[in-house]
Parts: sequence; C-alpha cells; structure tokens
Amino acid sequence: MTRHVMIVGCGRLGATAATALLDRGDRVTILDTDAENFRRLRPRVRLSMYVGDGTSHEVLRRTGIESVGAFIAATGRDTTNALAAQSARTTFGIEHVVCRINDPTRSEMYERLGLTTVNPNQLLIELVLNAMEQL
Amino acid sequence: MYVIVVGAGKIGFYLTRELLAASHEVALIERDAYVSATAAEEFGSILITSDGTEPTVLGEAGAERCDILISTTGQDATNLTACQVAKYSFNVAKTMAVVTDPDHVPLFRALGVDVTISTTELILSHVEEELTGGPFVHVLPLRGAASGIVSMRVPSGSPVVGQPVSRIKLPQGTLLTAVIHKSGELKPAVNDPELAADDAIVAITPPEKEDELWHALTGEARR
Repeated sequence: MTRHVMIVGCGRLGATAATALLDRGDRVTILDTDAENFRRLRPRVRLSMYVGDGTSHEVLRRTGIESVGAFIAATGRDTTNALAAQSARTTFGIEHVVCRINDPTRSEMYERLGLTTVNPNQLLIELVLNAMEQL
Repeated sequence: MYVIVVGAGKIGFYLTRELLAASHEVALIERDAYVSATAAEEFGSILITSDGTEPTVLGEAGAERCDILISTTGQDATNLTACQVAKYSFNVAKTMAVVTDPDHVPLFRALGVDVTISTTELILSHVEEELTGGPFVHVLPLRGAASGIVSMRVPSGSPVVGQPVSRIKLPQGTLLTAVIHKSGELKPAVNDPELAADDAIVAITPPEKEDELWHALTGEARR
C-alpha cells in the first residue's frame, strides 16, 4: 500500500527516512528551511522537496499536508519538531505523527500528551549498553 | 506572585521590570549569553542564563512553586515548548505565550497555553483603528471562552448618541461593560450613562456578533 508521508527537516535523519520510505514505494514530501540540505537526496519520481518552514501552517497547507497520511518531524531542534508535529496532529488532524525529541526529559512529557516521539540519542545509548553486555 | 519569564528580549526585559516594580517575585531566563549580559546589569541574580525550554532549567528556577510562566521569545516553537513543559511537567497554574504567527493562536490554546498574546494581531487592530477611525480594537481574547474584550469608538452620526446605554439593542451574548468619555473619564455601564460622540465603549462579545455590535453602535453595516 502506497502511503504519502510528509517529513519536516532534511538532515541526516529526515533524508535517511525519506530514502527508506521511497525505497518501500511510499510517496514523500520533504521540507527544509535550507535548500543546501536537499543535497542529501537524489531526485526521485515520488519525491517532492520544498524550501519552507515546517512550523508555518500556511507552508504546510501549500505543500499539501491535507493529503498526507503520516508526518515526521525530524529537524535537529526539539522545539521546532514539537510545534510542527503538534500542528500536524491538532491543526491538520494527521493520524500518524512521529516527532524527534533529543531531550529525554521532554520526550517523556510529549509521550504523556499522546505524541509518538523518537529519541535518537536514547536509541544509541541503548544499543551501546546492549553491545557492552555482549562483551 | 512568583513569575518565571522566559526570554530577556525587548518584551521580556520590560515585562520583568514592570513585574518587579509591582513587587512580584521574578526569575528571568535567557539562553543567549550576550542578551543575558545586558539584562544582568539591570536584574542581577534573578537572571538565569540557560535554555528556558529545558525541564532541568525550569526545575532549578523553581517552576514547582511558580504561579505563572510567561514565554516572550521571538520564536513561537520556543514559547510553546516552555509553556507546555511548565504546564505538564511542573503543573504551573497559568501559562502565557507571545505568538508571532497568528495562525498558531488556536493551536497554542488547544495545546495548553492559557493566554496567547499575538503581537501581530494587537498591532494590526490598532493600525485598523488608526486608519479607518473606528473598527474594533480587540483588547483581549478571554481564556477558555468564545468571547473577547473589544473596544470601539462611537461615531458622531450614530443613532445611539444622546441615548442611555440601556437603550442600545445589543446582540445576544454581548455585554457592554463601560463607556470611556474622550476626556478619559470612565463611566461604568451599570450607572446607565448617556452616550456622546467619540465615547469609547468596552464590551465583551463573541467574534461572530462583532458585526451586529458594530451596527448597533453606528447604525451602519461594518465594512
């Protein structure tokens, strides 16, 4: 089943997620405030790239948020991600929203508020701890 | 009251000064070292140079016993996060955020920000008043209610000039609270003052009744 996913932030996480989703056959719309960051992606048929602020409702609307089925907030800033993700969920009613939160003390709060958060640092720490137990 | 102010820019700086003058206890949090150094000259030890969106920082600032947190930075995302952390991690009773993008106002309300201050909307309503000599000035949206406090001036040709307040046919759900004479004298509506041209009225009204209120006070359709 082809999904349409919107990603805010074309850093390493956003770009890698976009590539993985495209490889699975999904459609991807990706936003970043800096066009330079799109160098991480090569042009693909089902990929749309826009320069714009993913916390602006006007930008989200113009780039087609109303037709996506899932939303990923993947910039390097927790506050930006939290605003973008909560806009997607509350203002635009997107059902599947994932939000990158680096600060573990905040991600716990967002989880309580019903946001699905991903903490790359936490994941890495768990992997390192697991690896150490194998030693 | 104990107030935490996030952001020591123009708004945060002068707000803190006013709050201190009114004998409130204040902590001011500013992330930028340069901005913070300027504010430190004025405020000394109540200034914390750190990120006011981080729970550890708010915890150290005493967020548990804080009565109100006001986030005044120029970044909507920062202001939302500071308010949400205060409300949902420290149970701060009241949170206020400055909102730059007017589109964010309803979202912030839905996400737990008790009071939003939209600088754009405030300035715009004053511009409208200056330019057209009279539509509504939206003084304050009321928290949790579908109504707001508005103000407008009674034009000289209005049919209500010379009439007591009680004779005005107000729209349903609208409360006229006071009349301010152009001399500055405040006349409570309960005293049923007579309206004069150029009096300003202060009313509480739902947004959808604004056109009707305008019509009642001017005799004309709102442009």
